[in-house]
Amino acid sequence: MAALCSVVSRSRCGFRSASCRFIRSSFSSDSSGGSGSDQADADRPRYGFAAAFDLQSELRREADQGASSSGRDESFASLLRRSPLIQMGPAKDKVVVGRIFHVVQDDLYIDFGGKFHCVCRRPAEGGDKLQRGTRVRLRLQDLELTSRFLGAKTDTTLLEAQAVLLGPMEGRDGRENQNQDRMNRPLNPSTVKTEDL
Amino acid sequence: MAVRTLTKGLLGLRQLRTATIGYSCGGHQYATAATVKTPQPQTDDVTEKILNLPLEKPDYFCVSELFSLKDLFDARVHLGHKKGCRHRLMEPYLYGCRLDQDIIDLDQTVEHLQQALNFTAHVAYRGGIILFVNRRRQFVHLVESTARDCGEYAHTRYWQGGLLTNAHIQYSPGVRLPDLIIFLSTLNNVFQQHVGIRDAAKMNIPTVGVVDSNCNPCLVTYPVPGNDDTPAAMELYCRLFKMTITRAKDKRRQMEIVHSLSPPSTPSS
Repeated sequence: MAALCSVVSRSRCGFRSASCRFIRSSFSSDSSGGSGSDQADADRPRYGFAAAFDLQSELRREADQGASSSGRDESFASLLRRSPLIQMGPAKDKVVVGRIFHVVQDDLYIDFGGKFHCVCRRPAEGGDKLQRGTRVRLRLQDLELTSRFLGAKTDTTLLEAQAVLLGPMEGRDGRENQNQDRMNRPLNPSTVKTEDL
Repeated sequence: MAVRTLTKGLLGLRQLRTATIGYSCGGHQYATAATVKTPQPQTDDVTEKILNLPLEKPDYFCVSELFSLKDLFDARVHLGHKKGCRHRLMEPYLYGCRLDQDIIDLDQTVEHLQQALNFTAHVAYRGGIILFVNRRRQFVHLVESTARDCGEYAHTRYWQGGLLTNAHIQYSPGVRLPDLIIFLSTLNNVFQQHVGIRDAAKMNIPTVGVVDSNCNPCLVTYPVPGNDDTPAAMELYCRLFKMTITRAKDKRRQMEIVHSLSPPSTPSS
């Protein structure tokens, strides 16, 4: 197929180089045919698919360069303004996703991206799924538990956040349920198919 | 008054300490003016050249390339405590307060961290003893393994009162004290300033300290305003200090090898 393309392009190169370039570029590029007409390509204006492809790749390259350079030069003020913590607003009753990083029997230490972690008790139902590394949904109450006591100069802080555990992440929950159902369903000899085994 | 007794047996091979040391700030005040001259003037020349070469450039060890503002931001270094926990003297380092939570100005943090890392690198280059101090139980293992990996020391347990100020009685008379103390958290377990900061200032030992919005930055020689509660931030600091110290020590080994290979007939190589 590629050899036929090159024969065709070489025979028509002198007369209709624009159309043969169009045929060539629509199939996979051929090295022998490409070297011969590459110098001609640079001089001639592009038409059709070739022009559109060049334009789009140019735009994508510029967008990538712009994104990478702007990421390095971004100021602290703009980084802060666009950060999820600031965009969230007050933490009361906001639903976030956290990750369990430590487990002590019934206590789950969950990190959700704030300054402190939160500690939640393992729920009675579905608690076995919540192990180290599980992603969970939380409803935040406070980012840091602090209070000023009588006679103190500064607040006393607990170095913890407070959140209510809503449950594991939805997607993982659905997939796990499916797997468990498949395993728990008794295999009926009449319904079992060969690909299930 | 801090008088350092230089007992040869306990110090090991540290002839550098007798040569002219040019610390930029917080330098050691030697009460004895006489310096012990090394026997070979040729080695003295080469040693002096090795010691003075890094002082010519402001960022000889290129510590500013080790981190960027984005790295600090992603490690949540800019998050401070609540407004009620704020220390009055930390106000110049704060960018502002958002919904009662203080935000530390990362532009200032970048400058302070660069200066602190540069100083650490120079101390490590000259063969100084560095002590990592941290009293947060959550990060004890991290700090101790960082210190072990870069060949320096760590003290993350209960600080006895006379550790620095009474060292010559509690330990042996000629014990060598650290040349730099790095506090990865300047508070102890009851939210008071760590005793080591005051003692290091008494003994003229320079300190580098990560100060959060509830800490007192006064007596710390090179304060670095930043978060000291999040594991991500602590891991970043430990990684940066480890890389700096390793880089400085490797540079020192490289310089010694390069200069010792020069022929003895030309002392000024």
